[in-house]
Amino acid sequence: MSWITVVWSMNAAACLTLAGIYALVWFKQREDWAYLALSCNAVAGTVLTAFELALLRAQTTEQYGVILRWAQLPVWVLVVSLVVFVRLYLRAGQPWLGWSVCGARTLALILNFIFIPNLSYRQITSLKQVSWWGGETISVPVGVTNPWILVAQLSLVLLVIFFVDAALTAWRRGDRQRALVVGGALIFFSAIAIGQVVLVVWGIIQVPFLACFSYLGLVAAMGYQMSNDMLQRAQLTRQLQESEATLRDSKERIDLATKSAGLIVWTWDVARDEVWLSEEDRALLGFSQSEKLSAERVRSVVYSEDRQLLSQLVEHSLTTPEEVEGEYRIVRGDGSIRWMSRRGRVEFNGDGQPTWERGVLMDITKRKQAEEQFRLVVDAAPSAMIMVNAQGLITLVNTQVEAVFGYTRDELIGRPIEILVPERFKSHHVSDRHGYLGDAQARPMGAGRELFGRRKDGTEVPVEIGLNPIHTSEGLFVLASIIDISERKRAELEAAHHRNEMAHLSRVAMLGELSASIAHELNQPLSAILTNAQAAQRVLGNGADLAEIHDILNEIVSEDKRAAEVIRRLRLWLKKGEVQQHSLCCNEVVQDVLKLMRSDLINQKVAVDCELARSLPAVTGDSVQLQQVLLNLVVNACDAMADCNTPERRLLIRTGIENGPSAVVVSVTDRGGGIPEEKMKHIFEPFFSTKAKGMGLGLSVCHTIIGAHRGKLWVTNNADCGATFHFSLPIAASDKEVVITHNGIGL
Amino acid sequence: MSVLSPTVFVVDDYAPLRSSISRLLRGAGFAVAAFASAEEFLAQYDSQTLGCLVLDLAMPAVNGLDLQRALAKAGSLLPIIFLTGEGDIPKAVQAMKNGASDFLTKPVSDEDLLAAISMAIKKDRALRWEQAELSEIRVRLATLTPREREVLEYVVTGKLNKQIAGDLGTVEQTVKVHRARVMQKMMVRSVAELVRLTQRCGINGR
Repeated sequence: MSWITVVWSMNAAACLTLAGIYALVWFKQREDWAYLALSCNAVAGTVLTAFELALLRAQTTEQYGVILRWAQLPVWVLVVSLVVFVRLYLRAGQPWLGWSVCGARTLALILNFIFIPNLSYRQITSLKQVSWWGGETISVPVGVTNPWILVAQLSLVLLVIFFVDAALTAWRRGDRQRALVVGGALIFFSAIAIGQVVLVVWGIIQVPFLACFSYLGLVAAMGYQMSNDMLQRAQLTRQLQESEATLRDSKERIDLATKSAGLIVWTWDVARDEVWLSEEDRALLGFSQSEKLSAERVRSVVYSEDRQLLSQLVEHSLTTPEEVEGEYRIVRGDGSIRWMSRRGRVEFNGDGQPTWERGVLMDITKRKQAEEQFRLVVDAAPSAMIMVNAQGLITLVNTQVEAVFGYTRDELIGRPIEILVPERFKSHHVSDRHGYLGDAQARPMGAGRELFGRRKDGTEVPVEIGLNPIHTSEGLFVLASIIDISERKRAELEAAHHRNEMAHLSRVAMLGELSASIAHELNQPLSAILTNAQAAQRVLGNGADLAEIHDILNEIVSEDKRAAEVIRRLRLWLKKGEVQQHSLCCNEVVQDVLKLMRSDLINQKVAVDCELARSLPAVTGDSVQLQQVLLNLVVNACDAMADCNTPERRLLIRTGIENGPSAVVVSVTDRGGGIPEEKMKHIFEPFFSTKAKGMGLGLSVCHTIIGAHRGKLWVTNNADCGATFHFSLPIAASDKEVVITHNGIGL
Repeated sequence: MSVLSPTVFVVDDYAPLRSSISRLLRGAGFAVAAFASAEEFLAQYDSQTLGCLVLDLAMPAVNGLDLQRALAKAGSLLPIIFLTGEGDIPKAVQAMKNGASDFLTKPVSDEDLLAAISMAIKKDRALRWEQAELSEIRVRLATLTPREREVLEYVVTGKLNKQIAGDLGTVEQTVKVHRARVMQKMMVRSVAELVRLTQRCGINGR
């Protein structure tokens, strides 16, 4: 077989193989029409190769003419399929150019079958037998060129222009590789083929038509590109699979998270009124998998009483790009009622129309149940409970509040807390409240202030208040527990009355014991007055010495005052009545008691040493009651030392400041036998006495009095001998420079 | 301070009373020395002074009874008039037992006080006279020889010279001489007088 036959056949076979491959590819991916176009193209190429081989082997001019005429048919297919391929594959090329190419080519095909022998030649005069390499002889036509061949050639020129245009468009679009490989190959090989054909047809060169080889190059280039595409596609597919796996993984994770958090993720296509829910959530909410979910359908599972609420929520949501939140109940597929928190955000299109709303539903039933429990607990609490938000508005009250303040629940909810504060504290209260919110800490009941609340009828009620800040997602709340202490106050008053009565009785009894001493205290000035008066009589009898008389009268006056003072003190001491709370100095109390006991101490031969602190801060209290306490302690100390030798009978009274410094301490130290350890803890109990004559009331009354003064009374045994009784009293507020300016409900 | 013009000592810790009493007594013509405490009085007291002590019973530290005891211990015979603000009977009894001259309750009238003072001073004066006499007798007794003293002791029992001589183992004439010398030294004229003197000195016959 000649090499020409071999080469052309190989060309044809290559084209046919490509055609087959592309046909197969197209068959797998029907939507990819470019492959079909390429396959047709390759078939046309195969046929063209066959025709060109036949032309080489043509023996007569007639034979040549006929073959050349039929060769136009695959050329037409070739051109049209190229146009189609370029349009499909490069997605470029002016359509009108494409149509022009196809049109011109079709016209050329029609003309081809009108002219005899064909469109290329008007007449083929002879066939020139040319001898090629290897001793092969081929036929080359010699004839008159048909001018209408220009139509065909025009179509080819347009085709090249079409390619150039398409390649440029693709290049500009960024599809550079395709533009370069496919476009470049198209332009390059078609230009060569066209050039060669034109030169042959016009007889400028005398060679056979060799377009099929150019075409093979073309197909090969395109094949290369398309294989490349396929390769890329395969890569993309792999990547896609990988990312799909990742996506599936993360979706599973999100599903798990949403599921465990009780979250239902939803999307609402507003325009199409279609709601998307996952299959599981559909099942959960009682929707079938296939049914179309409109907003109305979704609303149908909302608890009937809450539907209105949801409608308002959605309405609001559709007007804002902000996230909108609300809570309502739903009835689930299994019939259970659950509390849901809905959060959604609407997306708007360019025209401001809502397009999508995406969001989540969260099951908050547990939280709601906890809230309900909290409400129940608050309601069941024995004290009045009020919850106030950061704005000072009441958000929650319990039944006790109604009982204490006389308001009904509805009258209080949403009202400022100041409604419960007496008028005189209101202005302070607002600033106090802000101050508290600035540094909110749990504050125990009372906290050292007398507080009052205001009832509905305007009366005041003494209360104790504990405050607890509660931090919630909705901000800071303050839970106040309030106890009505009017009953306790009354009891306290009564107790104070009893205490004072007791103290008075004890004073009267003590006065009995001290009567001798007091009589002496009165007797002394009276004696001095009498003696002075009698002296005056004598002075007058002896002839008046006026200077002497003057001295006598002065002394009488001062002694009378002294006696009056004793009587005044006595009267105070015996006076029964309300306790007078005054600011007083403990040193004065000590001095008063020593005056009262002077002669008693002398009689008992007890020496008193005083160590009184200078500039002692004042305390608040009843001076008579405090004198009573000290007197009791001094009398006890003297009694304790009754059996001591005279020089040992020394009493030490000390005053000072303690507890750095918050209290004044007065102590009475004796040098007696001390107090046996086993009696130490009973010593302040009523009717407990170590004395033969004692009633055992003195110290217990002292204890009560000091307690009522918010002080402390205690006893210690001295290291050497005797015991020391101490009492401490809080330093008066004015001396601590702490001024309580206000009270009221401290919120 | 004269031995013969009496002084009233006033000891009271209560100044107004001290001064008013001083004033009253001065008005009544007494010399007065007032002290605020027992210690102060003891520091200045001259036991030779004639007079009496007006003493407050209840005083701090050293009280009236203490002072009374202290004075007695020192051999003072100063009459004490106690003043007290209360009817403290145990203390009054104690004071009287210890030889108090009087016990007055405050407020005291000037008459009572002055009467008590006059009485006390009289007592003091008598006491001091007796004391002086006694010391004179003791001086005379001291001049006797031991033998004469022996004879005196026999004489005051009322024994005769003859009996005395028998007891002493001597002769009647010697006893007679001793007796005459005793009578002369003791400056007495009768045995009765001698007996009186010796009894005051606490000398008893044998």
